[in-house]
Amino acid sequence: MNKEQIPVKRDYKPGKIATAQPSRWRDLGVSLRGFWKEFSQIKYGVAGLILLAIFFLMIVFEPWLIPFPEASERWRDISYWDSNPRNAAPGWINWFARQKGATHQYLRDPILEVEEQARFKVIKGTFSYDYRFDLPPTGLSLRGLGKGDLRLTVRLERPDGQEIELYKDSLRRRNEDELKLPLGGLQAASTAFEFGQSYDSAENVKRVNRHMIRPYNIFFARAQEGILLKPEPLPGEYKIHLDVVAIGQDAYIKDPYLIVSGRVFGLLGTDNSRRDIWSGVVAGIKWAMFIGLLTAFISVVIGVTYGVTSAYFGGWIDSMMMRIFEVFVSIPILPVLIVLSAVFKPTIWLLIFMMTVFFWTGPVRTVRSIGMQIREETYIEAAYALNASHARIIFKHMVPQLIPYAFATMALAVPRAIIFEASISLLGFGDASIVTWGQILHDAMNGGAILQGLWWWVIPPGLTIALMSMTFAFIGFSMDKILNPKLKTR
Amino acid sequence: MYGRYAVKRIIYGIITYMVIIFIFSMLFNTVVETTLRSLLEERLQGEFLQMDLGNYSAEQITELKAQRRDQLYRMHHLYSPFIVRVFWRAYNTITFNFGQSTNVTSSSGERDVGMIIAEAVPRTALLFTVAAVINITLFIFLGIKKAQKAGKMFDQSTSIITMVVFGMPSWWLAMLLIMFLSYVIPLFPSGGMFSTPPPEGSWARLVDLLYHMILPVLTLVLLRAWGGAYLIRNIVLGTLQEDYIMSARARGLPEQKVLYGHTLRSAAPPIATMAVMSLLISFSGGLIFEGIFSWPGMGNLFWVALQQYDIPVLMGNLAVTTLLYMSGLIFLDLIYGLLDPRIKVGGKA
Repeated sequence: MNKEQIPVKRDYKPGKIATAQPSRWRDLGVSLRGFWKEFSQIKYGVAGLILLAIFFLMIVFEPWLIPFPEASERWRDISYWDSNPRNAAPGWINWFARQKGATHQYLRDPILEVEEQARFKVIKGTFSYDYRFDLPPTGLSLRGLGKGDLRLTVRLERPDGQEIELYKDSLRRRNEDELKLPLGGLQAASTAFEFGQSYDSAENVKRVNRHMIRPYNIFFARAQEGILLKPEPLPGEYKIHLDVVAIGQDAYIKDPYLIVSGRVFGLLGTDNSRRDIWSGVVAGIKWAMFIGLLTAFISVVIGVTYGVTSAYFGGWIDSMMMRIFEVFVSIPILPVLIVLSAVFKPTIWLLIFMMTVFFWTGPVRTVRSIGMQIREETYIEAAYALNASHARIIFKHMVPQLIPYAFATMALAVPRAIIFEASISLLGFGDASIVTWGQILHDAMNGGAILQGLWWWVIPPGLTIALMSMTFAFIGFSMDKILNPKLKTR
Repeated sequence: MYGRYAVKRIIYGIITYMVIIFIFSMLFNTVVETTLRSLLEERLQGEFLQMDLGNYSAEQITELKAQRRDQLYRMHHLYSPFIVRVFWRAYNTITFNFGQSTNVTSSSGERDVGMIIAEAVPRTALLFTVAAVINITLFIFLGIKKAQKAGKMFDQSTSIITMVVFGMPSWWLAMLLIMFLSYVIPLFPSGGMFSTPPPEGSWARLVDLLYHMILPVLTLVLLRAWGGAYLIRNIVLGTLQEDYIMSARARGLPEQKVLYGHTLRSAAPPIATMAVMSLLISFSGGLIFEGIFSWPGMGNLFWVALQQYDIPVLMGNLAVTTLLYMSGLIFLDLIYGLLDPRIKVGGKA
């Protein structure tokens, strides 16, 4: 019978259609409300939802949450991070630590004096740095815009009146260029050694390895015996003098400022490439969410459809589909995925595709057994008798009943996808155009974070993996509890 | 009846394994060909360096080389069409003929992939069996305790722990434990199976081995015991609601007997499944885990082979891992049939 031959009344009033037609949707609404009522009884389920909402809010407000808004795009761009300190601990450890580390600071707006001569200019600037910490900064770096022939000298004036020359060199820039001059290195090390030598005992001088000293520990230390071996901090007002001789009419230096590389930085410190870990971790949320949700969604949709189809048709189609299914469940997924990623170097899209190829098997077995029961219901028979197509019976009558189950499976499949991506990234086969938690951990492992105990580099990314997985586990487990009446404790 | 079922299951298993190996072979064929080509070229150069070629002219040497190359290519089916090569490689893999590795060697210096893998398997088995035995005892005990007092404080709190550690990567916990327990506070060794140099005497060696196993086993137990306990709880809880449990209680049987006699007996098949599955999953997921602890098993072999891009070792290791994994699954189906007399074996599903 052709569907067009069924007489259809077209003079329904709009209101009537609205009540008569979408009754299935109304049923769904009622059942969803019932589901929500049960769900809201489970405390950890609600906690999971709240956590999920927090994660989504963090994704939405990401640019305002992180100090480096381009962290996601320029994670591997060294120049984006080069004003940060290396391997700095999180800023808040100063509240707990016995020895306070110097914070990361920018010294701007020096007192500038310009002396114009016929052939050259002399620019004198003074920055003042108030040092009140137990652990000195790891270095100073001069930044600014410059052009032409420049002779630069940087001197450090200590509170005890001593003066140390930190830097002396001449530069030539044809066009206006950003100057990035780290005031450290070998020159500073030998200056520091000479400075220390004049105060420390001859015995100590002999014991110290002049190539291993950290210059800034000595620059910011009390001038007394032991300065080379056990420098004690000298707090007070330090002055950094910048003397520039600009030779020629068009030579100049503009907006000079100093970066004091701190021992502590930001919310979660930095890694050994000077990247802000907080920015990386927050930027990773959206990728983890994206990978997890997309993989889980696609694989559950495929799995549910597959299971229902297999159950609906039965017979040889069922056994054939089950054979294919068995091939897939017999594969150890993680090793295969890792070897595949090593060989094919996947982008994030390919990785998601590869994961769905193996993850769809998750719900199949349960869905098939539920589907077998549904198939025997009389309304399926009725639909069949009404000449409904197979697709219509499967998707309109069978699949909707499995939606709650599908959601529970999906929630529990998300953590799995996130962990798999992290595992693959940990081995270094992640997509290099994005930043994920697994990749941060890969860098941490290669950068010797475990060996050096740089906990702020190892704990946060793994913790967020665990937290996000926990969020979905909370949601999935509570759905499971509702859908599995046998598990009720009362 | 059971015998027929077992044979059928095993034959299905073998067919599935062959199909999987065929798929692997197809996927990796192109990559394997390139490494094989460079390997053969290397071998060719080596052969000609050792030969005395004093009385040959340059053209003759090139011709000889070409001939030998031709011969080698023919030997390794490099001239055959794609599909033939795939079949040939699949056949070789199924017969455990994995070929030579490109870089990785076994501890005695051999380059035969089969030997390298054979060396790694018992080490992995040791680590994961010890962890699994501890885990299974622990989670059966915990699970029953939870089910007994379902909904109470203990049950609730351990369920929360289950969910908290649900998605915690084992390798991350391993990294943390190594960082804090072997570098910050040097209590345990950071990795490996034995100290270097290994201690003399079998007794000292055993102690050393156990000492090196503490941290990896601890990681596995800390993470996996909770999930297992939760599943056992659910299985036992489901069984406890059966009528015959109520009747056993009504008959006045002691609670211990109801729990361990009636409930556990009928809950045995799913528990066994779970136990074996947890072993299998931790085995296949232990790949990265082993690498972190540099435990020289199969997982570490994957890690090393990946770093050195040693395709033959990867292929061989993958094939053996799959074989072990599948054997576990088949074993599971077989014991399921034995443990649960209600399951009709051999009949129509």
